[in-house]
Amino acid sequence: MGDVTLEHVTKRYEDVTAVDDMNLAINDGEFICLVGPSGCGKSTTMEMIAGLTMPTEGEVFIGGREVTNLPPKDRGIAMVFQNIALFPHMDVYDNISFGLRLRKYDKEEIDRRVERASDIVQLEGMLDRMPDEMSGGQRQRVAIARAIVRNPEVFLMDEPLANLDAKLRVHMRTELQRLHKELDTTIIYVTHDQAEAMTMSDRIAVIDSGQLQQIDPPLVCYNEPANLFVAGFIGSPSMNFVDGEVTEAGFHGKNVEVDFDPADVGVSPGDDVTLGVRPEDVYTEDEQAGIAHPTKRIEATTDVLEPMGDEIFVYLLLSEDATTSMDDASEGMSDQLLMSVDPDSSITEDQDVSVVLDRAKLHLFDTETGEAIQHGIATTTTTSTDSSTPAESDD
Amino acid sequence: MSVADDLRELSLGRAAVYVVLLLVGAFYLAPLESGLMTAIKTQDAFFSSTPFVPPFGDGFTLEPWYEAWAQMQGPLSDFSGALYNSAFVAIPATVLSGLIGSVAAYGLTNLKWRGQAGVLMLFVAGMFVPYQSVLVPLTRFWTIVGLQNYLAAVPFLQSRVGLIELVVTHTAYGIPICTILFRSYYANFDESMLEAARIDGATFTRIYRRIIFPLSKPMFAVVLIYQFTQVWNDFLFALVLVSSPTNEVATIALNKLQGSMVQQYNVQMAAAFIAALPTLLVYVLFGEQFAEGVAGES
Amino acid sequence: MPHSIFRRLVSLGSDGDGDANDANEVRTDGGTATATGEGTTRSDQSDRSLLDSEFVRSLPFWLPPALLMGLFVYGAIGWNAVISLTEWSGFGSPDYGDLDFSMYEQMLGDPTFVVAARNTVVLLVVFTVLSLAVGLLLAILVDRDIRYENTLRTIYLLPMSLSFVVTAIFWAWMYNPEIGLINVVLRGVGLDFLANDWISDPSTKLGAVIFALMWQFSGYCMVVYLAGLRAIPNDQFEAARIDGASTLRMYRRVIIPQLRASTMSAAVVLMVFALKAFDFLFVLFGDTPGPSTDILATMMFREAFSSSNWAYGAAIATVLFLLALVVIGPYLYVQYQRGDL
Repeated sequence: MGDVTLEHVTKRYEDVTAVDDMNLAINDGEFICLVGPSGCGKSTTMEMIAGLTMPTEGEVFIGGREVTNLPPKDRGIAMVFQNIALFPHMDVYDNISFGLRLRKYDKEEIDRRVERASDIVQLEGMLDRMPDEMSGGQRQRVAIARAIVRNPEVFLMDEPLANLDAKLRVHMRTELQRLHKELDTTIIYVTHDQAEAMTMSDRIAVIDSGQLQQIDPPLVCYNEPANLFVAGFIGSPSMNFVDGEVTEAGFHGKNVEVDFDPADVGVSPGDDVTLGVRPEDVYTEDEQAGIAHPTKRIEATTDVLEPMGDEIFVYLLLSEDATTSMDDASEGMSDQLLMSVDPDSSITEDQDVSVVLDRAKLHLFDTETGEAIQHGIATTTTTSTDSSTPAESDD
Repeated sequence: MSVADDLRELSLGRAAVYVVLLLVGAFYLAPLESGLMTAIKTQDAFFSSTPFVPPFGDGFTLEPWYEAWAQMQGPLSDFSGALYNSAFVAIPATVLSGLIGSVAAYGLTNLKWRGQAGVLMLFVAGMFVPYQSVLVPLTRFWTIVGLQNYLAAVPFLQSRVGLIELVVTHTAYGIPICTILFRSYYANFDESMLEAARIDGATFTRIYRRIIFPLSKPMFAVVLIYQFTQVWNDFLFALVLVSSPTNEVATIALNKLQGSMVQQYNVQMAAAFIAALPTLLVYVLFGEQFAEGVAGES
Repeated sequence: MPHSIFRRLVSLGSDGDGDANDANEVRTDGGTATATGEGTTRSDQSDRSLLDSEFVRSLPFWLPPALLMGLFVYGAIGWNAVISLTEWSGFGSPDYGDLDFSMYEQMLGDPTFVVAARNTVVLLVVFTVLSLAVGLLLAILVDRDIRYENTLRTIYLLPMSLSFVVTAIFWAWMYNPEIGLINVVLRGVGLDFLANDWISDPSTKLGAVIFALMWQFSGYCMVVYLAGLRAIPNDQFEAARIDGASTLRMYRRVIIPQLRASTMSAAVVLMVFALKAFDFLFVLFGDTPGPSTDILATMMFREAFSSSNWAYGAAIATVLFLLALVVIGPYLYVQYQRGDL
């Protein structure tokens, strides 16, 4: 059984805590992505599951068995590395069979397993090649085959696609999903690329500052982020944030106002809150017909347009003195909004526009703690509860 | 200033650079060149001619080489002579310190533990210890050990006890530089490659034998070449450890020859080339590796 | 000491793979800390993890080599220091029962020692500075996109592959007052008045030795500096040129300050070689080079191995070791501070 559990796992280096009291329960057969920015502790977490690093505190279970102090080879795991990490002086066959030969399997069994593994990753006929005669994608397949032959209960993959070029990376994503279906084993996959995590995994574990922020299926992380960090990390481009205050009438930000009854969303007047809205949930006046519950109009001027082909990103300035600057991102960007519009929209730069937000897709966060308060702010109390249905997701 | 002027100045400048570099090259080669020319001149010829000019006519002779060879080495067939003794010391000492250095570097690089820096510092400092500061205890140590008593059963070795002492001594003093050179190489190994081997169940010894060692070939070339040169060229250890005249190594024999043939510069030069021949050969064939070893000293 | 090595490995460890993600970051510093976790925190949980710790497992690999090296190098240094406190001389064994500093007292009152110490320092400083300067100049010239760079480098480094014994014999011939190349050339270009009996004249003896040693080791300096120059990004040369800096100015202000690390490592190696210059002097002059060229290394050998004043020789050797320590100690400390060890 390939279920993996971390209980109160902490990893402290001399002066930094890389992983802080992590609790994680991964089910058998699940494809799970550990995702987070550089240095968030996701790789350390994986190394502790692999047994390459020992936790300072806490326990690790694999298949119900406590493995905290077991060496990697006794954990029933296999690992695929970012640097691919083939042995450069061995051919493909020797690379794939290295672990089996160490364990003194008989020749026929080794051949059988190597053949099966190389079939799965489509390496037929390349067994006598040396690593330096292969392309990056082929080398990564060898690395995966090397993991497969061991029949592990858990596959650990540490950014295995990070060193491949963009096209190959997209292709290998599909391959990995196929592989997961075929092998039906647990895959734990570390990446800093949220798109990779969204497309492949059953569940995403978002990690920041050594702590688990949220573990949920991709769309739940997208539609109901547990806190500001997850909201900002998942989704590209990032969610818009507007800092403001709760008044009797609802949300009051510098340029954005949303009226609601504070009692309905469990806040009280005077609370500091942050409003979040994804670019695709910002609409121009012309398009607002499509949404049931628009907010009041917000006056804005368009700044820069970024045509992406299937959509156009429009940077909106909400006040005269606003600038579109990356530096403002940390300050809640109260003066600007990013909007996604249809590619055939007639919108131009430096144009005055009125926009509305889709109330059903608004997110309210506690500015202080970052915790999510409410997903979806409808006009009536009856609709405010259907916020959790991601039915209207339009991507 | 016109473009043409610029260009002219540029090429003039470059020409000057080449001239300077060539002159410096000539300066570096001059002692060797005039040595070589002198070694193929007769006594009369080198006294009467300019040192770096090749001999002509009667002035040419290979006699100095025969004489130098006879003095330093003698026939190769009887397994004695200075060149043979030097090889007897240099080859085992080089191989041993190379192997030991490689293993030590693995333990100090690819296995992580606290306090490596301290141990490493001892290795690094060990490269720089002036041999004078260990000479007295070293001779005392070998006197107390009395190696010849243990070798009584093997006359071949017993008669070469000084050389065996040299092998051990050179091995011990070669370990620091060999370790440091290998360590610099191993530190560049992809760590996840070794982790992959660990996950596959390879023990630390296995990882060394199956992965590190086979991948060390280029560095072994560097270490062996550099270390061979160092041991072959050593003079001081041989001077204090070798007492028997039959155990003289090439540098000692060369020094002795120089003292006994004061005015015979042609023989001296020929002898110097003979003594330097293995290292010159190694340098010409494997200059790249030697340079890398030299760079490792810094 | 392996400054360049360590810089290389440190840079490769941190950014060699070219991707700034935490997989590498955490692993590089995580690696060392692994042992911390296992060695301290885990050890109180079970003995097994202590035995499994990488420290224990690494012992068989490095401890025997360290012991062998430690016995011969550091054991001998310590033993030497003890011998220097005895009165041991002549045949027989040292008497360790009666230790005092009488040898060091004798040393301070010994004019030969003072002269040798002074010569050692002069040799050390002049030889090092000269070799560095020549090496730097050559490196700058060779760095200018020169053709046959490899050939030139091979030639410049060639003397370093030779034994001191061999080079001493070559230079004895070079310096021959009647028919040696130096004087022949000087006379050939009309500088007869400069021709001299270089290695007999006490006033030029030490200079002649330093010059020959410079010949042997400046190629090494060039190799070190060339590597240092190559490590400086080309952009900086371009930028300085676009800013209109003259070549001289560019090197003085931009390039040479960045070669401090190369200078330091090369200087340490050179100074240690200078302390070892014994071989060269011994071949030229035997164990008594005379007051103008006597250095501590030759004096030590003479006292211990020619006169059997073992304790006195050991005391000089200790001073020599301390001198070496003065040279490499700060260097090691800097390396350690920079985390290069």
